[in-house]
Amino acid sequence: MYPTIIALSFIMALRGTRPAALQRPIEGLRRVWRDAIDLFLTLSLILVLAAGAAALNSTRVTGVEYEFLGFSAAAYLLSRYQKKTDIFFLVATLIAFTIHGKKSDLLSGLSLAWAVSVCSGFFQTGLLGLRYRLLFSGVPASMRGWPMLCLLAGFLSVVLWSVAKLVF
Amino acid sequence: MLLAYLPFMLYPYGFFRSGVAALWSAVFLWGTLFFFWFTRRLFPGRLLKQAFLLWLVVWGQAAWSLTGLSPFWILSVYFMTPVSFLEAEVKPGHVRVFSKDVPRYFFERAMTGIGFVFFVLAMVFVREIGEKSSRLKIFCQPAGLLFVVAGIALLWKSNFFLKFSNTKQIP
Repeated sequence: MYPTIIALSFIMALRGTRPAALQRPIEGLRRVWRDAIDLFLTLSLILVLAAGAAALNSTRVTGVEYEFLGFSAAAYLLSRYQKKTDIFFLVATLIAFTIHGKKSDLLSGLSLAWAVSVCSGFFQTGLLGLRYRLLFSGVPASMRGWPMLCLLAGFLSVVLWSVAKLVF
Repeated sequence: MLLAYLPFMLYPYGFFRSGVAALWSAVFLWGTLFFFWFTRRLFPGRLLKQAFLLWLVVWGQAAWSLTGLSPFWILSVYFMTPVSFLEAEVKPGHVRVFSKDVPRYFFERAMTGIGFVFFVLAMVFVREIGEKSSRLKIFCQPAGLLFVVAGIALLWKSNFFLKFSNTKQIP
């Protein structure tokens, strides 16, 4: 689960949100955590709907067979209602699908969704903070952009791994 | 390319299966571009992007049901798809390949798919060496591959290979 969180959080940090300018870190921080909460709410609703479909005899078989389609439909409607980007919709679908594959019990799934959203929020916060600090550093031109982003993401992954081992 | 690779980091497959998954993603990308290039005018403007997302999701479900391939690959295809290809006004320029005029658009997309397959295979190879041969624990989590990608991006940005070939030519 941990690689899923890091990779998809990195994607969300780069393309999933409507970012604030790096020069306004407080605004960016607010958006990161708002998106983390929105992600948790989206995942929770999807998992609850999946549990509801599994509980009903009439939808159980169809729900299992077309699981990914059902998750996508729910994630699409929720992301459009929240005015989120396409990447948010795709990432939420994939995370919900992965969680459901690991934890079929609703309560465990919701706990995992909570842990995933918080971990994603911390990752994006760390990335935003480090990028803000680097604005004032003399980073060589060849290091700017993707090299620095991947380096920062790698370091954050190492740091969060020590905490995540306790959870995942 | 780097964004498209990130979802592929999540597949725990070995060299062969990762190559097959990457090849499938490339073939699906070409099929998607081919399909929508000729049918985009049939969709109302506002629904075209939704149709594209639905196409991705339906094929993600199909691949999962038939082969058990987790649908992370649809995110890779999404990133490899050019932003403007759904616009009806887009018309391709031409580029000469082996003395023939080939639409530049299709040539670039073909190169994207092929490059993606080779990139995935190279990264899987690095991971296999790091994880199994060298037993570096950093390759048990995404950090190892992210550092490798950072190194590749640095070499690309600093035009390392161009400088290297220019240095070789100086007598």
